[in-house]
Amino acid sequence: MSFPDPVQMAVPLFIIAMIIEMLAVRAGARGDYDWRDTGTSLAMGFGNTFAAVIFGATIVGTGVWLAQFRLLDIPATWWSLALCFVGEDFTYYWFHRSAHRVRWFWASHVVHHSSQHYNLSTALRQTWTGFFSLSFAFRLPLFIVGFPAEMILFCAGLNLVYQFFIHTEAVGRLPFGLEYWLNTPSHHRAHHGTNARYLDRNYGGVFIIWDRLFGTFEAERDDEPVRYGIVQNLATFNPAWVAFHEWISIAREVAAADSWKARAMAIFGPPGWRVGTTADSIRADWQASRDAATPAE
Amino acid sequence: MVWTSLFGIITLILLARALGFAKAPVLADAAQARRLAAEALPGFTATDAVLARDGQGALVAGSDGRVALVRSFGDRWVVRIVNGAAAQAKGDRLHIVPHESMFPAAELDLGPAAGDWAARL
Repeated sequence: MSFPDPVQMAVPLFIIAMIIEMLAVRAGARGDYDWRDTGTSLAMGFGNTFAAVIFGATIVGTGVWLAQFRLLDIPATWWSLALCFVGEDFTYYWFHRSAHRVRWFWASHVVHHSSQHYNLSTALRQTWTGFFSLSFAFRLPLFIVGFPAEMILFCAGLNLVYQFFIHTEAVGRLPFGLEYWLNTPSHHRAHHGTNARYLDRNYGGVFIIWDRLFGTFEAERDDEPVRYGIVQNLATFNPAWVAFHEWISIAREVAAADSWKARAMAIFGPPGWRVGTTADSIRADWQASRDAATPAE
Repeated sequence: MVWTSLFGIITLILLARALGFAKAPVLADAAQARRLAAEALPGFTATDAVLARDGQGALVAGSDGRVALVRSFGDRWVVRIVNGAAAQAKGDRLHIVPHESMFPAAELDLGPAAGDWAARL
């Protein structure tokens, strides 16, 4: 069984899909683009491919090295491929959850959320510093379990390709009960929201069942449109600033901190810890104001 | 592959622009500015607001004394607290330079209110 690179194969499809989405929006479909925002998103995606080339070998090498300690010798078959796909998505859930809850990982992942738009080009707004943040470590258990390295990389690529297509407002909700099992455009729109209700919810990659299992699911509501972006939206389209702004912010906070606890929290605490705007505190304040507005029985 | 990607990127950017995805947003009224500030700033309760004459920016005062700058960015809005920012009123115009890297300075034509708002920062 051979494993091609799904992302490389899908690049022409990405371009065609974006053109179709732009034309559809112009024809009246739900969604929006801004050429400057799209330019930045595509520049980030372009830079990400260079980062992948530069650091990819080290990441794969680490996985292959770990594979010598594997627990099982899993053959490359269809059943193992299916198992690997689910397992890879499970590790993705925990990577993604950590990427929103721990600032060290967020500093890299924030790039993907830094657009106030939600369209197919947003999907390509990817980090340049994923290797530096060590986010690949979440996938390493799959090597230790014993899945073939090529299979793991293939599944990771498939996951990425799937997620590209859910970055759209043009699709409402999927039929046949798929919204229960899969991460869909609707669920992922909520994930990109800065509304208190939607903050830090729906971490799943392909399957949304992880969020349902671990209590992080939030359904998109028709009566509460999603406001896309980050809590403090960027005011520049400069790709370099988009790529590094959170790392710079961490460095500044560590340098200015007056205690070791403050330094540690600036690096490993939740985003927004210093200024009191973590997702948890924002949601708690929102919940309290809702409770106060609801007449007591 | 690099050149193919670059060609694809440039094509998409040009197509987006050609299709008119290049709006400059304009604030409809002070209520919209207050809503934008309240949505962007956790815990911010907007009271009064003043719009720039071109509608591309506004200042919004909060009940706690903070003042938020709402300014256009692409076809969207960005909001920042600007108390303590470098601010200078010249006639009807207020020039504000927020203390934040890469956050562009704002030039707001606030009419006769420019001086009063400068004093609140």
